[in-house]
Amino acid sequence: MDVIYSLIPGMVFFGLVFVGVLIWAVKKGQYEDMEGNASRILLDDDEDTMLHHDQKVHAPKA
Amino acid sequence: MSEFESEHLALAGCFHCGLPVAPDINFHTQLEDVQRDFCCFACQAVCVAIFDAGLQGFYQRTPEGVLLAPPPTPPRDVEMYDLEEIQQEFVSCQGEIREAHLLVEGIHCAACVWLIERSMMRITGVRSAGVNLAGKRLHLRWDSSEVKLSELIHKLSRVGYSGVPYDPEVAEGTMKRVNRALLYRLFFAGFAMMNLNLIAIALYSGADHGEFVRFFQWMAFALATPALLYSGYPFFKGAWTGLRNASLTMDLPIAIGLSVTYLFSLYVTLQGGTQVYFDTVTNLLFVILIGRYLEGMYRHQAVSATNRLMELQPRVAIVLQDGAEKICSVRAVTVGAQVLIKPGSHIPMDGRVIDGSSAVDEAMLSGESMAVKKHPGDRVIAGTLNGSGVLIVEVEAASQDSTLSKIIRLVEEAQSSRAPIQRLADAIVPWFVLVTLILACLSFYLWSANFEHALMVATSVLIITCPCALGMATPMSIAVASGLGAKHGILVKNGVVLETLSKVTHFVFDKTGTLTEGRMNVHQVFVAGGQHEDDLLSFAAAVERYSEHSVARAIVLAAETRQLPYRTLTVQDFYATSGAGVAATVADHAVLLGTREWLLRNQITLEGVLMEAESAALSETCVHLAVDGDHVGMLTLADTLRADAQALIDSLRAASIGMTLLSGDRLAVAESIATQLGGMEVIAEVLPQDKDRTIQQLQQRGERVAMVGDGVNDAPALIRADVGIALGSGTDVSVESADIVLMHNELDKVRLATLLSRYTLRTIKQNIGLSFVYNSIMVPMAMTGHVTPLIAAISMPVSSLLVVANAARIRNLFKEK
Repeated sequence: MDVIYSLIPGMVFFGLVFVGVLIWAVKKGQYEDMEGNASRILLDDDEDTMLHHDQKVHAPKA
Repeated sequence: MSEFESEHLALAGCFHCGLPVAPDINFHTQLEDVQRDFCCFACQAVCVAIFDAGLQGFYQRTPEGVLLAPPPTPPRDVEMYDLEEIQQEFVSCQGEIREAHLLVEGIHCAACVWLIERSMMRITGVRSAGVNLAGKRLHLRWDSSEVKLSELIHKLSRVGYSGVPYDPEVAEGTMKRVNRALLYRLFFAGFAMMNLNLIAIALYSGADHGEFVRFFQWMAFALATPALLYSGYPFFKGAWTGLRNASLTMDLPIAIGLSVTYLFSLYVTLQGGTQVYFDTVTNLLFVILIGRYLEGMYRHQAVSATNRLMELQPRVAIVLQDGAEKICSVRAVTVGAQVLIKPGSHIPMDGRVIDGSSAVDEAMLSGESMAVKKHPGDRVIAGTLNGSGVLIVEVEAASQDSTLSKIIRLVEEAQSSRAPIQRLADAIVPWFVLVTLILACLSFYLWSANFEHALMVATSVLIITCPCALGMATPMSIAVASGLGAKHGILVKNGVVLETLSKVTHFVFDKTGTLTEGRMNVHQVFVAGGQHEDDLLSFAAAVERYSEHSVARAIVLAAETRQLPYRTLTVQDFYATSGAGVAATVADHAVLLGTREWLLRNQITLEGVLMEAESAALSETCVHLAVDGDHVGMLTLADTLRADAQALIDSLRAASIGMTLLSGDRLAVAESIATQLGGMEVIAEVLPQDKDRTIQQLQQRGERVAMVGDGVNDAPALIRADVGIALGSGTDVSVESADIVLMHNELDKVRLATLLSRYTLRTIKQNIGLSFVYNSIMVPMAMTGHVTPLIAAISMPVSSLLVVANAARIRNLFKEK
């Protein structure tokens, strides 16, 4: 059971690391805009190639 | 695309915003060989600009089902943002590279993010552009030697967004930063609590006799110490300030409980004992910090009201010097200078008109619904909006002495002198502390034969009475009530007032825009000689639709609501005389519309019945109508009451709550409104400082006052009152000054808010009761020495959970109906 002497400090150490990461993320503004960044990844820059492959004309969203 | 499809699209609505297109509106453009229809010029212009820039992918990226709104009106006077002294306020510079945050109106979805970033990045000189979708903000970095900020804002409005620079530091204020620091402390307490509970469970389940007990205890000590010092710091600080000011706050019993628990556990650890309470320390910290964080979220940000007022003040003026126009910062304009005011712009300084005439909208300051005609010799006030004429004004007061600046000072004064709200929990705390300390001493004295045991018993009394539930009682109830209010259109900005609102004894109402609609409406139609009301109204509306006057708009609106076919009538020879009336030929009838004097001037014999009606309509504006030389009708116009005003006043009267009507308007008008509502005290023709003073006088009489208002001139009174309630449609300043905002302008919601307040107060009382019940069970147990660390670890969170669950019951308030 001597392993416990290293396990518990290890657990505390990892806990601390995560608290640090959390505080860093809040400070960096990672939680300021949850929606924008979630959808930004889906907005590609290749609209020209898209249009060449698929000649669909956009319809309004009524 | 087939003929059928484009037909379908035309019916579907505006190509840009999706709103229905009225059949008689003609905004079409040929885009990519397909005809597109638009609802308005703004949508058309924006869409063409987007296609021209090759960014039509925007429309593909708009999520299904999202309706884009028509683009907002672009901001005016953008050029002033290029002036160095104005840029100082919101731009950070690194040589030529500038950085600024813009508040952007018109962002609705991720496609907007794409469009804005893409169109900004294409401008030469822009280094980076980042949109924050949740905050509707744009962060820009640009090289000012290549491109100017005003050009960027113009470009933004061309693709359909209006951007205004702002300073995030000022806008968010220190409050948010303080609350964020609290969040870090909460994180850390949460981390320490989770790890310590694992150790505590090991100890409680038998490890306290094994070989690891020392190790566990020292680990617990190592976790609890930083948590107590870092996460518990606010409580120690608060308790210390409280002690120095000789006032007992909630922080003191918390600080005592925490430190006693910690020190006792440390003492036991050093002595080689087994009963440690380190886990209780972190559990307590975590729970109380949650309460504190909730409290901080609902605290009033009073600072911003003055910021909003400052924004109303135009920052530049066009000064006339030797016949040349020169744009100057208002601070540089001296008394006696001549300032040019263009149509539709804000008046930058207080002064007197020396040339030109125009109607000026002073609603923002005076609450007067009609624009005021200004001629040479009349005074104009900074911050009001010029109508369609050009004015040349001689400046009479420096910018810091203007009426607006005086209101800013009034607001600041009201903020600093407002009495802090006495909260129920605060009133109990001193007694609570006293009783706890006495009980602890008493139990120490009773067990003093055995020092060790006496110490343990006295400590456990202090530990068990740590006011965890008491600390959660108020913030939890207010958090739940605020959330519920927001769902029903009641935005509670300052949660503390939820306790006070139900105890209010006197309501003060602003008249224009609060009890009334704030604009002219046709009230009554009088007819003479067998004419039909609808025919007269059609004639009047047919003529008036060519006029921009507020009376004209009211008449057209009335015809519109009655669905009269006034648009089909032909109107010829339209002729208007300012301040008197209009003449026209409508469907081959000669129609005259205007004041009594206007009809007399045109040789019309006045009808006796109608003249009687005019003298009976005391405070209303009367418009007479003559057709083919006969005086046939009269319309009375008034600022009508809101539909739900009567119901609210009646219910307040039934609850025998005092009421006062405050108005900047004429006494006769204010009194007629009061009479319509069944009578109440009326104070008319008041200035902003008088409104503030009226509230003060009522408070000195011992009344608890709630103020309901919507204008800039109400701001000092809203802050002064025990509870300030603003309408969502009101000016930004009033919304910022108020404690509660009614989102949909439903006055009736005042009643709902009162109900919510009563319910919240009841829940707070129940919660305090719950925590007392808990104490009356646990204290005797502690005094007899029956409280072990395990019992403390279980009973304390349970009492907090009970309080949280009870607060959640507030949500049932609206379910029953």
